[in-house]
Amino acid sequence: MIDVDELKKHYSVFRREPGLKNSLKALFFRKKTEVKAVDGLSFHIAEGKRVGFLGPNGAGKTTTLKMLSGLLYPSSGKVLVDGHLPYKREARFLKKIILVMGQKQQLLWDLPPLETLELNRAIYEVPMPVFRKRLHALTELLDIGPQLRTPTRQLSLGERMKCELAAGLIHGPKLLFLDEPTIGLDVSMQQTIREFIRSYNEKEGATLILTSHDMDDVEALCPRILVIDKGRLLFDGSVAQLVAQVKPEKRIALRFEGNSLPENLDSYGRVVATGAGEAILQLGLEKVSEVLSQLLARFPVKDLTVENPPLEEVMSELFSKHTLAENEMAEHALAEHALTENERAENEMAERETPKHEVTAKAP
Amino acid sequence: MWRYGKLFWIQLKASLLLSMQYRADFFVDAVISMFWAATALAPLWVVYGEKVQGQIPGWGLGEAMLVVGCFVFLQTVLEGAIQPSLQTVIEHIRKGTLDFVLLKPADAQFLVSTARFQPWKASSFLASMAIFAVAFARIEVWPSFGNLARGAFLLLLAIGLLYSLWIWVVSAAFVVVKVDNLTFLLGSIFDVGRWPISIFRGFFRLLFTFVIPTAFMTTFPAQALLGVLTYGQLALVVVCTVIFAVVSRWVWLRSIRRYTSASS
Repeated sequence: MIDVDELKKHYSVFRREPGLKNSLKALFFRKKTEVKAVDGLSFHIAEGKRVGFLGPNGAGKTTTLKMLSGLLYPSSGKVLVDGHLPYKREARFLKKIILVMGQKQQLLWDLPPLETLELNRAIYEVPMPVFRKRLHALTELLDIGPQLRTPTRQLSLGERMKCELAAGLIHGPKLLFLDEPTIGLDVSMQQTIREFIRSYNEKEGATLILTSHDMDDVEALCPRILVIDKGRLLFDGSVAQLVAQVKPEKRIALRFEGNSLPENLDSYGRVVATGAGEAILQLGLEKVSEVLSQLLARFPVKDLTVENPPLEEVMSELFSKHTLAENEMAEHALAEHALTENERAENEMAERETPKHEVTAKAP
Repeated sequence: MWRYGKLFWIQLKASLLLSMQYRADFFVDAVISMFWAATALAPLWVVYGEKVQGQIPGWGLGEAMLVVGCFVFLQTVLEGAIQPSLQTVIEHIRKGTLDFVLLKPADAQFLVSTARFQPWKASSFLASMAIFAVAFARIEVWPSFGNLARGAFLLLLAIGLLYSLWIWVVSAAFVVVKVDNLTFLLGSIFDVGRWPISIFRGFFRLLFTFVIPTAFMTTFPAQALLGVLTYGQLALVVVCTVIFAVVSRWVWLRSIRRYTSASS
């Protein structure tokens, strides 16, 4: 469905230093710098899959999404989406996709969402019976009957997002690009949106690419994740693989009989949270089975669950490792540079000395 | 074609719904735009008034009123249809929501150009028709069907010219983002169109004929209505409109290509 090979997007931006003097200077002389928003991404996504793009701010997630949907021309590399070159923005391609952005909206602000749906029906040339059927299904699934007839500006953020999804899906796209779809929503609304997205994917067999800051979104929705940082791919695989690779630890959530906690619990692992008769231990993967049997044998355990450490923690570990590795590389490069400086100085000295000998040699 | 007709109607309907949501605003705006249309005549009363006793060479008061009629008509189209839609493009660019328009399987220029209308401007359309009627009553010669058809055709071309000019301004928004001053400047220059071109000489006459062709937009249609427009002049307007349209389409497509959308 999606083939991306060595995809790059480099921008030229003008850099301006702060302060009045620099601003005046920048009016006439501007410094151009190159920003590598996406810097050599390669991946393949099969039809019907749910894939999450993860990465910190400015990692290149949205830029990648925009290149996949055809909004941006790649600087170089190959991108093929369902047999189309996205940047050509052919009508046949555009009818297959949808881009939903949590921070931007396409609904007409002062009119009920139904008007936007009606407009999209005409733009996407959806036959009336199909439109009615889809509208009915979307209204049921998203529970937005009354909201569709209320002016958008009077809707809550969550209701607006639901209508936004309805407006995006009325033409039955095969490929969904969702950019931070749950941003700013409360927990239960996030849950609703996630459930809906999952059921749409399962029922329609649509391919789904999601970017989010919210690890819960990605964990709940995407069996496969691509971690991007500074425009490059850091990881490609499942959440479990990511955890195993970056932070091979597990969390054991324990509930004991009564409200008190056993003493020296920290000798079994790192205690990351405690409550009345409850505690969460985090420990290395290799120790889990041993510690579990010890805990069960020694304490009145009422209930226990073993789970992965939170994705946030794993991600911050991954990024700090990445930054550390980069810093090391930079230091190494600096050291090499310093060496060549020294070498150059030595060479220069040697050069200066050599002619002297020659001169003295030639003098007589 | 049929599909675009339908899209046009749906967008127009949305604008109608929008403007009728605020009933009081709707009526007040209608009265105000009627008032502005009437004030367009004021400078003529000054020039042709008893105290100044002025004359524009070749143009009596009735004939000059025809120019004002064309001016008010075009101003109605500009403020009621062209400007509001294209103003939304500038908004889209600033907010980065043009992404949604560009991802629609329909021509983006068409979608943005028909995005917003201000239906209450219909009242100043009626005012322009009234000005035409009074002007002809003063001249005491009613136009033949041929002259009416030629006049209407030229007004149609004038809308094309005006639209092309505005597309250029909007395209500038892709580069400089804030183009409010530019739209204001163009609006002010368009104001020149209330006068027959013969009041200008030399540089300004050339400027308002070929660079910002207000002469083609108001003077020529008035001349067509009066039956004094030559076929040469008519051909000149057609050629000019085609050039403006082609260039504006080219500028738009180029602007879209360099659009990289506001950062997320």
